[in-house]
Amino acid sequence: MKDFISFEKRGFIVLMFSLFLFLSAGAQTIQLNGRIIDSTSNAPVYDALIISAITSASVTSDASGNFSIQSSEGDALTITYLGYQDKLVPVHDNHFLEIGLAPMNKQLVEVVITALGIRKEAKRLGYSVQEVDGNELVKARESNPINSLVGKVAGLNVGINQELLATPTVLLRGSPLNFYVVDGIPINSDTWNISPDDIETYTILKGPTAAALYGSRGINGAILIETKRGKMNKKGFSVEINSSIQLNKGFIAIPKVQEQYGGGDYQKYAFGDYNSNATGSGVNDKDYDVWGPRLDAGLLLPQYDGAYDVNKNYVTTFPNGQTYTGHIEPTPWVSRGKDNLKRFLQTGVLATNNISFSSVTDRSNIRMSVSDANQTGITPNTKINTLNFNVIGSYDVSDRFKVEANINYNRQTTPNIPDVVYGPNSIIYNIDIWSGADWNIDDPNIINYWQPGKEGIQSNFAEYKRYHNPYFSSYEWLRSHYKNDLYGWASFTYKLNKSMAIMVRSNITTYDLLRTEKLPFSAHPYGDEHNHGNYREDHRNLWENNSELLVRYNKENVANSGISIGAFVGGSARRMDFSSNYSSTNQLIIPNVYTLANTLKPIRAYSFGSHLLMLSAYYSADLTYKRYVTISTTGRVDKTSALPVGHNTGFYPSVTLSTVLSEYVNMPSAISFLKLRASYANVKGGGTNSYVGTAFQSLGVGSPVGYGNSYYTPYDGPNFSISTPPYATFPGYNNQTEASSPNYVINSNVKPSSRSNYEFGFDTRFLGYRLGLSATYFQYHDGPNISNQFLSETSGLQYFTTNGGETKRTGAELSLNGTPVSSSSGFTWDVLVNWGTYKEVFAAFAGGVDEVSNGTGYPYKIGDRVDKLFGKYEALTPDGKVIHDESGFPIYLPKAQYLGHADPDWSWGINNKFSYKSLSLSFQFDGQVGGKIQDRVLRKLTEGGRGANTNEGIIGAARLYESQHWGEADYTGAYDATGTPLLGGDGVQVIGGSSNIQYDPTTGVITNYATLNFSQNKTAAQWIQDYVSSFYNDPQHTLVDKTYAKLREVVLSYSVPEKMLKKTFISKLDVSLVGRNLLYFFPKAFHDIDVDQYPGRDSFGTSRLEYDLQTPTTRSFGINVNLIY
Amino acid sequence: MKSIHILFSLMFATLIITTGCEKSFEDYSENHNLPLQVPPSLILPTILNDMPVNPGGDEDKASQFIVSNYTYYGLNQYWSGSTGLDYGTLHNVLSMEKEARRLAGNDINPYHALGLFFRAFFFVDMSLKVGDLPMTEALKGLDNPAPKYDSQKDIFKQSIMWLDSSNTLLSNFINNGFLEFSGDFFYKERISNPVNGASGRDALIEWQKVVNSFKLRILIELSKHADDPDLNIKQEFAKIVNNPAEYPVFTSNADNLQYVYNKDFNYYPDGPQNYGNNAGRLNLAATLLNNLSLLHDLRAMIFAEPARGLGFADTDFRSYQGGKSGDDISELANQSADKKISLYNYHHYYTSYTAEPTLILSYAEVCFCIAEGINRGWANGNAETWYKNGTTAMFAFYGIVDGDNEVNLQAIDFANVVSIVHFSFDDYFNQPLVKYKGDNADGLNQILLQKYLAYARNSGLQGYYQWRRTGVPTFYTGPGSGNGGIIPLRYQYPSNELSANGSNLDEALARQFNGNDDINGKMWIIK
Repeated sequence: MKDFISFEKRGFIVLMFSLFLFLSAGAQTIQLNGRIIDSTSNAPVYDALIISAITSASVTSDASGNFSIQSSEGDALTITYLGYQDKLVPVHDNHFLEIGLAPMNKQLVEVVITALGIRKEAKRLGYSVQEVDGNELVKARESNPINSLVGKVAGLNVGINQELLATPTVLLRGSPLNFYVVDGIPINSDTWNISPDDIETYTILKGPTAAALYGSRGINGAILIETKRGKMNKKGFSVEINSSIQLNKGFIAIPKVQEQYGGGDYQKYAFGDYNSNATGSGVNDKDYDVWGPRLDAGLLLPQYDGAYDVNKNYVTTFPNGQTYTGHIEPTPWVSRGKDNLKRFLQTGVLATNNISFSSVTDRSNIRMSVSDANQTGITPNTKINTLNFNVIGSYDVSDRFKVEANINYNRQTTPNIPDVVYGPNSIIYNIDIWSGADWNIDDPNIINYWQPGKEGIQSNFAEYKRYHNPYFSSYEWLRSHYKNDLYGWASFTYKLNKSMAIMVRSNITTYDLLRTEKLPFSAHPYGDEHNHGNYREDHRNLWENNSELLVRYNKENVANSGISIGAFVGGSARRMDFSSNYSSTNQLIIPNVYTLANTLKPIRAYSFGSHLLMLSAYYSADLTYKRYVTISTTGRVDKTSALPVGHNTGFYPSVTLSTVLSEYVNMPSAISFLKLRASYANVKGGGTNSYVGTAFQSLGVGSPVGYGNSYYTPYDGPNFSISTPPYATFPGYNNQTEASSPNYVINSNVKPSSRSNYEFGFDTRFLGYRLGLSATYFQYHDGPNISNQFLSETSGLQYFTTNGGETKRTGAELSLNGTPVSSSSGFTWDVLVNWGTYKEVFAAFAGGVDEVSNGTGYPYKIGDRVDKLFGKYEALTPDGKVIHDESGFPIYLPKAQYLGHADPDWSWGINNKFSYKSLSLSFQFDGQVGGKIQDRVLRKLTEGGRGANTNEGIIGAARLYESQHWGEADYTGAYDATGTPLLGGDGVQVIGGSSNIQYDPTTGVITNYATLNFSQNKTAAQWIQDYVSSFYNDPQHTLVDKTYAKLREVVLSYSVPEKMLKKTFISKLDVSLVGRNLLYFFPKAFHDIDVDQYPGRDSFGTSRLEYDLQTPTTRSFGINVNLIY
Repeated sequence: MKSIHILFSLMFATLIITTGCEKSFEDYSENHNLPLQVPPSLILPTILNDMPVNPGGDEDKASQFIVSNYTYYGLNQYWSGSTGLDYGTLHNVLSMEKEARRLAGNDINPYHALGLFFRAFFFVDMSLKVGDLPMTEALKGLDNPAPKYDSQKDIFKQSIMWLDSSNTLLSNFINNGFLEFSGDFFYKERISNPVNGASGRDALIEWQKVVNSFKLRILIELSKHADDPDLNIKQEFAKIVNNPAEYPVFTSNADNLQYVYNKDFNYYPDGPQNYGNNAGRLNLAATLLNNLSLLHDLRAMIFAEPARGLGFADTDFRSYQGGKSGDDISELANQSADKKISLYNYHHYYTSYTAEPTLILSYAEVCFCIAEGINRGWANGNAETWYKNGTTAMFAFYGIVDGDNEVNLQAIDFANVVSIVHFSFDDYFNQPLVKYKGDNADGLNQILLQKYLAYARNSGLQGYYQWRRTGVPTFYTGPGSGNGGIIPLRYQYPSNELSANGSNLDEALARQFNGNDDINGKMWIIK
């Protein structure tokens, strides 16, 4: 803000002008015509207020920006419009005036989009919203547009899942959010069907108050998306091209592995499974850990690629004298597989191109845009392509009648995306957790993965029971995804008069999806261990329509009372149909033929369908008194088929109050503006689920597949959780259908769950409007919920679904933004700082009880955090030493113990942008503090003996000792010279035996410390494999604070100066070097996971101790070109 | 004014839509993907599926039939908390009866007769795990969400009455015509040799034997309360033994209540599908295998591979040694690697998907129950005959014949080697350890040992329950057992009872275990 002047100062200027003009009064009256435009985009400004200083006449500009006003020579017009700097224009004659209004600095935009797409003056709002400029997110890109919002909004946590086509976990104030509204109308979005290049702004309605007009769908808030419109320029059209290419390379989180011990167990390994059928046998050559013999220690062992001669017998003698005889010639046991994973993974590429064309005339505005995003994964043979086509247009049929429409088509295609979920389907599982550095990923017989003569039937690898050749997995075991996604809307607005307008609009949002999985012969995941292949199809189809009628009434300064009214009433109908089916062969007959007909045993198929109808009516009324105070109230009535008849109608009220204190209270000079706000809203649950899974999941029956990822699509349809409980049916003995009766009962009087939101806050601007600070404190009172009141199972029922149970969530958000420095030399510094926190505790339990079981000895009590985590816990002495049993193993308490809580204490983001003339540099740090997670990757690496930590420190010393001494006759474990166990030597044993320990039968804690005597543990576990895999993978050793920080993005832009472009057809050209995910700060020991995927809860709102595996995450850097002509 | 008109039109339009859609609201709110009513024959198999206990699980470890030598796939520790109960299954029983009543008009139908048996079966099953449990006030749903606990004694007493009612009802159907029933894959519709009777009468004859055979089992379980005047154990026992016409029991293996595996859909838990991860990690337990070995019992060679590290011939019984439950798992890993303890028999378990059926209630057990009752003087008869009948029934179950038997063992190079081993039943029964020592404590121990061997890897926790009741056979304990090396005597109640049914639970704990939900506490039936 270079020359921003305060309201006071401006008022003074107007006054002086007026006085001056008054003196020259008597000039001739003229009818003055003109047009108001945005000085940067040249787009017409609609509804700007034009006031004559002499006649005091006031008019507003129409949709084309035109106005006509009585004036006179020497008059001065004051033009005001929200979000723009006021402008004073002297009148010299009756020439047509084209008046450009300069928009205020982005951070000071005074108009925001609110529910239903209604624009409101920010200072009149009584609740918290935050906007993000879409243009900020299209340079250093994420493959998913919503990922780009991370750190940009206080209270919004985005868990970025880097897997291809994964949906981010979006939490707003801790609640999962999957409600996206485009141009005022809800769409059903998987977040991939939005092209970031088409988005003008994202507006985050932070809670139920802001989103109360959406009823139950807005219970967690909403993300509003405003589509880009055409912008006026001299040519009458413009073409914009935005192109990026980014490389994903350089790991910021990758499992840290040891490469000194190979596959096997208890220091022994010999490959014998020449027939690859997991039934011939070597020594620990199937489903092994990585606790095998030491590599590069001069050992010769039979291995998978050794020469096989059925006529020869090779005898391998182990250090303890045991022998193994087989037909494979032993070869050197060496670490030929160093960095297998890194060598396997490749550079990923994200290439995005967008071209848009827009044209604006007096009456019409049209924009067409095509986006294409091609991403190749870092896992070979994986990719995803999204094509997006967007058209938006408006036409002013007359000054009163406006027609607008938009259509967005999105196609997602991929022949193969990886499945990283823990199991033999996962590359990470196969290469990095459960196999060692004893095989080499670059060996030709690994890369050429079929066994000669058995193409299509038998793959080649170092192990055949559990693990898979990664090349075989990547090129034969394919998971495709084809999705058509379409949404569109049309609206008709008719202005009855200056104050009143009526709008009818309707949208559709629909998708169809086909996912397939081709499981080749010789693949053997969990539950499908027949090596006989399978083919599966998952079809889903959703169609939704929202139609709405809205009558708006706006009048400023009603009858000169100083009161302004902004109000509307409306009604809408929502209709949704969903169907899905899932089919799978039960083993293939013919290899490599992936059809459902090619099934050995009867096919397994499931189908599910649902419908929803919701009728709603709502109103909103804002009453503003001058510049001082605004009271708003909204109300909505929903009648929905997702709730049982008789209880399917709900009313959702909200009341808000805002007052601009700085307008009537003297403020310190530093404070230019101060608004206080308070609000209340109550919203009910809608009996719907945000997401839907496969048909068999919808039916609540067991999976025909025992492994892999569950894919969820957006739904917002009935969950039937309070409709009459049905029988479950499923294939039973000998594949015959069986039924099981429901084990729950629904309260026939159950009412929708309720959430009340109380919110207080202030917005302030200081340092002459340079900086703004927005602060919000909120409370959610959730309840009575619809909850499952757990009954004594002896009643025959598991639970009673009824109203009950309450939680209270409190939290706060701070957002600081502005331009601290803006020098006349052209240097500016923009800053955005966000901070958010929340905490949720139990306030009441269903059935009025004061505690509920959580399966541990410590039930949840009122006042407890809802995100408490529990897990296995070591038995410790009062001074914290680990108690060992007589065999030298740690003893664990018989009940799970409290470990910490899952939600972060707070999260933050800092964004800075420095500009100097044509150059700008922006970068963002963000992160979170607190909250616990058990690091599954580390846990499994430790358990399996593959983690770098199993070859470091005392574990490494013990392991080395064991590998060198285990075969000796008197060997009983790894001890040091004093007879102290290398592992567990710092622990104790109970004198007289561990049977002396008494535990509380309920809580599991030790109750008789007073009578226990301890001595130093002198017994080593015989095998460190057994010790490490129990002790070092327990929660005490694998639990970590989720505190992290990231250098999230860096953008260095150069805008080619206008004067250099003058002679070209190009009007704007920006070139940017971009980077994302560049630095990651996290404790060293746990650096194997990118913890920013796990913001508090999962996308179903559940607190979890442990999550799944993840593909290593990389840095991303590239170049972006933005061109307009 | 125009706006008022529009408002009215809007409201009017809404009204029309609303009333026109009323049917949709009702229709859409129901879940049409799943049924609200089903025939009882769809629920019956769900109940049957809940009866067997899968071999290879914690029950096999608790009964000391198997041990794990591999930490990753589980320790050999006993439990420290609660276990699953069967109220959900009993809820299905009531639903099945409700659906049958809907179709038949009353409770005089085979589903109800079976339902009475299921009540006895599952209440006894649960009570043996924990002690007292809600019964009279249980299963009433919301009418009584927090039922009072009945004493274990009352549960057994009531179960006996249910069995008698079931027996009477079944007699009635068998003798006087009956109503059709289906869904019975144990007898009527089993895959191999279904009990054919054109209308299913023959299957009901089998179920009547199940009812009375099961009654024998629970009378024996009550042996510590044989003289309780409320229970009439001895008289009830004698009634069955003396009146086979009124109280028919199993008379051969063909009657066995058992879960039969098949190669297409229902695999035995140890089979080709999990050979690669399972085979080397589990051993037979010493409590089972060393006893078989000691008795020179050919079943040893059915269950196990020889432990060649011991240095005896493959078909020498001394080669069959199990891992001692209670040893620390590293020790077991060593012994297994050194081939000092036996692995599962490769041919028996890993070359087919079916191994042997899993017994729920067997003819052999009936024989041993009768033998035990006679030994204890509850009825007249020849205990030795029943002892031998039971033992030979188990031989037959595993395909062991009197004479030359084919034994399949895996050679060092993993090939299957068939050896012929001569096994004479007479020689077996004439060994000093096996020869019945008469109706005295020694004879009883012999019966109990054979009964324990008959329970091997089947019948759920029966092997453990017998040890708990009689101390036969001796179980191993040690650091690997957990619980400070002590074998617990019961499971805890479900943790949810604490909050959902707290005061009734407290009362039950106070009268049984001094108020503590103590896994080492002694329940009534073993006092």
